[in-house]
Formats: sequence, structure tokens, C-alpha cells
Amino acid sequence: MSLFRIFINQLDEDDLEMASSKKVITREEWEKKLNAVKLRKEDMNTLVMNFLVTEGFVEAADKFQRESGTKPEIDLSTITDRMAVKKAVQNGHVEDAIEKVNDLNPEILDTNPELFFHLQQQRLIELIRHGKIEEALEFAQEELAPRGEENQSFLQELEKTVALLVFEDASNCPVKDLLDISHRLKTASEVNAAILTSQSHEKDPKLPSLLKMLIWAQNQLDEKAVYPHINDLSTAQLQDPSE
Amino acid sequence: MNSPSSHFIHKFRHSSNRQDMATNEEEESPTELNTINSSAGFLIVSPDKLSIKYTGLGQHGHDVGVVQSNKPAPFKRHAYYFEIYVKDAGVKGRVAIGFTTDNFKIGRHPGWELNTCGYHGEDGLIYLGKRQGETFGPAYTTGDTVGAGINYDSQEFFFTVNGTLVGTVSKYIKGPLFPTVAVHSQNEEVSVNFGQEKFAFDFKGYEASERNKQQIAIEKTSVPPNINYRLVKNYLLHFGYEETFHAFDLATNCTVPPIYVPQEDGVDVQDTAYALNERKILRQLIGKGEIDAAFAKLRDCYPQLVQDDKSEVCFLLHCQKFIELVRIGALEEAVKYGRVELAKFIGLNVFQDIVEDCFALLVYKCPEESNVGYFLEASQREVVADAVNAAILSTNPKHKDRLYSHLEALLRQLMACCLELRLLNDGQGESLSLNRLLKNNSCKRIKKTG
Repeated sequence: MSLFRIFINQLDEDDLEMASSKKVITREEWEKKLNAVKLRKEDMNTLVMNFLVTEGFVEAADKFQRESGTKPEIDLSTITDRMAVKKAVQNGHVEDAIEKVNDLNPEILDTNPELFFHLQQQRLIELIRHGKIEEALEFAQEELAPRGEENQSFLQELEKTVALLVFEDASNCPVKDLLDISHRLKTASEVNAAILTSQSHEKDPKLPSLLKMLIWAQNQLDEKAVYPHINDLSTAQLQDPSE
Repeated sequence: MNSPSSHFIHKFRHSSNRQDMATNEEEESPTELNTINSSAGFLIVSPDKLSIKYTGLGQHGHDVGVVQSNKPAPFKRHAYYFEIYVKDAGVKGRVAIGFTTDNFKIGRHPGWELNTCGYHGEDGLIYLGKRQGETFGPAYTTGDTVGAGINYDSQEFFFTVNGTLVGTVSKYIKGPLFPTVAVHSQNEEVSVNFGQEKFAFDFKGYEASERNKQQIAIEKTSVPPNINYRLVKNYLLHFGYEETFHAFDLATNCTVPPIYVPQEDGVDVQDTAYALNERKILRQLIGKGEIDAAFAKLRDCYPQLVQDDKSEVCFLLHCQKFIELVRIGALEEAVKYGRVELAKFIGLNVFQDIVEDCFALLVYKCPEESNVGYFLEASQREVVADAVNAAILSTNPKHKDRLYSHLEALLRQLMACCLELRLLNDGQGESLSLNRLLKNNSCKRIKKTG
């Protein structure tokens, strides 16, 4: 009786082994599946419009509405204001940006202490960049130090920023990233997101997350099947399974 | 092999197809206990079909009072869950909760037979198709609320007691599963909750955290920089949205910092910008329903496309012209036009039923409201515009035979992968719907009032 049971158990394991080997899908079969996917043109248009609007490409969104008939999900006029703020930050005119944000909606900065701190920090960086050392120190003492006292992570950021002053050639110091234009862009992005959220709009366009989903889905499917991939998103070319 | 034009013929036929919306919504779900297929001799089911009471003697292994739900658990979602409340554990406390398939054995506890699973209250063991159970969770008795669930993503069964998860076990059973409850000693009484009442266990929270797990894994992946701009540009060029492209191109050149475009992209833009202006003009004309003007423009610039009057491009344009005549109520003219231009397509399988559907429009006083009303929608004009667009692109000597824009190719790959994943998971799990994703605005949902 027990020998029989061992035999049955072994059979189960063999069956499992066969089942765990991957399903092979040929290029022809896969292309059939791809062509069978139900994808509506309107949905793709909406996806593109969503991108243009969230990223703030007003003129393009307006033209797209005319050329494709796709309706933007938010009023295009609100985009112009938002873009003015974003541009100001990108160009290093932080004081101007703060004024604009408050004009748009004073609640945004009131309810976003982290954002406000980052804007002030950017202002400090710009002062340092222009060699206005005295002004920078005064600003740091009056505006930023009090915030640093309230919040540990703000304090750390503040200290990092002030460290820029220690080096004669700040462009080669350990905290040089702060001077990089990418930091302005980061702050600009933050403001952009906060404005969108205050307008009850999602701060991120949907397109990037769909692309991430694609990579994730291919990884998941790799565990169960052999099939043609798209490895280079920019060409969207199908690669044969053997490659 | 799928030729470009048959792709558009297919779309023309099914232009505003709302079918794909239905896949997730229309699943049946358990609502009560199944009184027909239960061990009638050993239990009675309450009139509301949500409670059972043991009436047998509980003397051996074949007089279990067991019952299934009326419908199997729905599976096109992340997870399913239900609960029981032990009103009375009776003399021996031999209550069980679990899942069985549609050919389960009457009179046996869930878990004892193959392709069943059961968590038993008497000993707290889990039974997975054998008479011997394995250590699993606590024993449970009168006053306890016990829940059983299926996680389709991880392919596991999970159980809870009084709102707390007590364990999970691999789901080894394939096919539709029925929530199952059993009682096996005198005076045992149990009631069932299929969601009509609030659960003791935070199932919604559990579902949300499962969804989140997926989200977090997805967020971790990285995409090439600036890919979004490149895809949008390619999309605009592919479909001939010339003015949008130029506005977008201008704006991206003015961004801070300017968006880096690799060498290959320059070549790609050249290719896809082929005949951009003509394609834009044709899209505009067709978008306004000016089909005669569209024909004239094509004869002018791309005579090879309209030479063969029986080609698919000509077919679509003629159909659309017919539809435009119906739209303005010029029915006699429509009939005349149909006789001259559409009659020749009867007898050609691919086109015939579309021609018949078009002619059907003539019959209705309010054709927009008929079941062929979709022909009158703007999306129909769009299909024709897209078909003409693709035809012009194909005249490019450097044409690479790419039917889809890069964006569309990526989206199709995404959907095909998700469909295949579900297929390999026996159709279980939540399906991906682009339409639903686009409509879903989490900001609007959490907006506070006042």
C-alpha cells in the first residue's frame, strides 16, 4: 500500500515538471494575437491628449483638439497659468514663481509645506549660483533656518545646500547636483504636480505607467511562456523568441 | 497574415463596438446556498437560503451535511471571499468551510475528496484532497466568524478567523470553485455571508493591498528617458496630425533642457513625415464628410490608390459617401449613388455585408438610433481617414510596412501579454482595459467636498 502511494506521489511530481516547462508561442501566432487586440483609436487619442495636457503643452493640445476632435479633460486656459509657474522655476526665477502660484491658488503653498520649502531652497541655490553670498546667508537664516528647526529632513536639506558655500569651485564639490539644472526641473515638476492636484487632476500622465506596465507584463509572461518581445520601446519592433 | 486594409474594413464594420467593456462586469457571483445539490438528508437549509442546520446523526464519514453556493466564485478579479458565522457548534463542533468543484461528493467534508479544500473547525486543520489534514490555523467554534477566499494573482486559498488572516495554501484545483459549508454533529448551525452583510475581515483592504503589490512592482521598472515625447511625435506623424506635430515639436525644442533626440529618431521622423501635408488635408476633408473632395485630392496626388475602383480604399470612401448622403436625408440620391458605386461590391464576401448594412440605413426614420446607427458616428469617418492615411503611407518607396504607430504597437503588446497571462492563469485575474484606465481618475474620487 505505501509503495503504491510513493509511486503515485512521484507521478504527480513528473506531471508538475512537464507543466512547468514554458508554453512556446511562434511569431505568427503572437502576431495574430496582437492584431486581435481590441484597441480603439479614440482611446489612443485620449491617451495622447492626457499627456499633452498634464505635461502642459497648451498649443499642441489645442491643435490636437482641432485636428482629432479629442476633448481635453481640463480647461486649456488653466494650463497656461500652470506652465508660466513651471517655466519661471525652470529659469531660476523662483520668487516670481511663488508669486504666480499664490495668484493661482494661495492654498497650494499653504497646504504643501514640503513644496514651499523646496521652492525656498531653490531660491537659495539661485542666490548662491549668482555669487550673492551675503544675501544668500541672510535668506537662509531668516527664511529657511526656522523651517529646518521644525523638520529634521528639511534641516538636512538646508545643511546640504549651505555646504555649497564652503567650496570655491562649487561645480566640483560633492553637493554639486544641487546646482545642476536637473534640480530646477525637479522643483518645477513638484510645483506642476501640486497645481494639478489642487485642480483635481491626476498629476502624472498615464502614458509612462502604461509603458512600465508593458515591461512588467513581459517580465511576468517570461516566467510562463516563450514569445516575441519588444525590447526597444523607441522602435517598438517585435523580436523573434529565439533572439 | 493581416493586411493593412482588412484591418480597417474590420474596424469599419465594428466601429463603435462597446463589447470590450463587458468582459469584467458581467460575471455571476454566489448569492445564496444551493438547495438542490446539497446533502438533503443530513441538513436543512433556512428559507432565506443563507443558514444550515445539521439533522443527521454524525456517526461516520459519509453523513456530513454539506452544501455549496448557488453560483461559482467569479474569477475575473484579484480575489474572491465569503464568510460563515458559527451560530452553534453543536455536540462535536465539526464545522467546515472551503471550496469544491461542481462534481463534489455529497455527504463528505470539503477537503476530504480530491479537488476540494476545507478548513475544519474541530481541529483547525486544512484538508486538501486527502483524509489527513495538515496543521493550519486555530480550531473554531460557536460565535466565531470564519472566512475563506481565493487569491487569483498568487493562486492561493486564504482563510480568516474573526477578521484575522490565519493562513494561506496553494490553490491546486482548476476550474470554477463553489464556496462550500459543512456541518457534521447534532445541533450544529451555521449562517453564510456572501457579501450581503459587512465582513468581519477587511476584504476590501486585502484586495487593495494586492493591487498595490502589483503597482509597486510596476513602478520599479524603468523606461528609457524621453520615450514619451518620441512616442507622441511618432503617433502624430503616423496619423498625419501635422499642426499638432509642429506645435509639439516647437514646444519640446524650447523646453529646459531641450529634449535629447537620438540619431535614429531623425531618420524615423523623416520616414513617418512622408506626405504629412497631404495626409493632413485628406484627414480634414474626410473628417468633415467631404468625400468627393477627398476623391479629387487623391486622384490628384495619389492616382494609383484610386485607380482600382474595387480597392478597399475606394470601397470605404464610397460607403462613407453613401452614409453622408443618408445623414443629410438625401435618400434618393443615396440610392442612386449606391447603385452606381456600391452594387459592384455585392458578391465580394469581404464587402457584401457592410454594403447590406449601409443600405439598411435607408429603412429607418431615425437611422442614428437603429442598430446600424454607428455608421453615422464620427468614429466611422475616422476609420476611413485612418485607412486613407495608411494607404498613402504605403506609397512611400522607403515604406517599412509598419501598420501601427509605435505607441499602438506597444499598447497591443501590453494587452496581448496581459491576455496571455490571464489565459495561462485559467482566465483568472483582473483584465486590463485601456478605456477603464483612462476614465479612472483617482484624484476626482478623493476630492473632498466643502
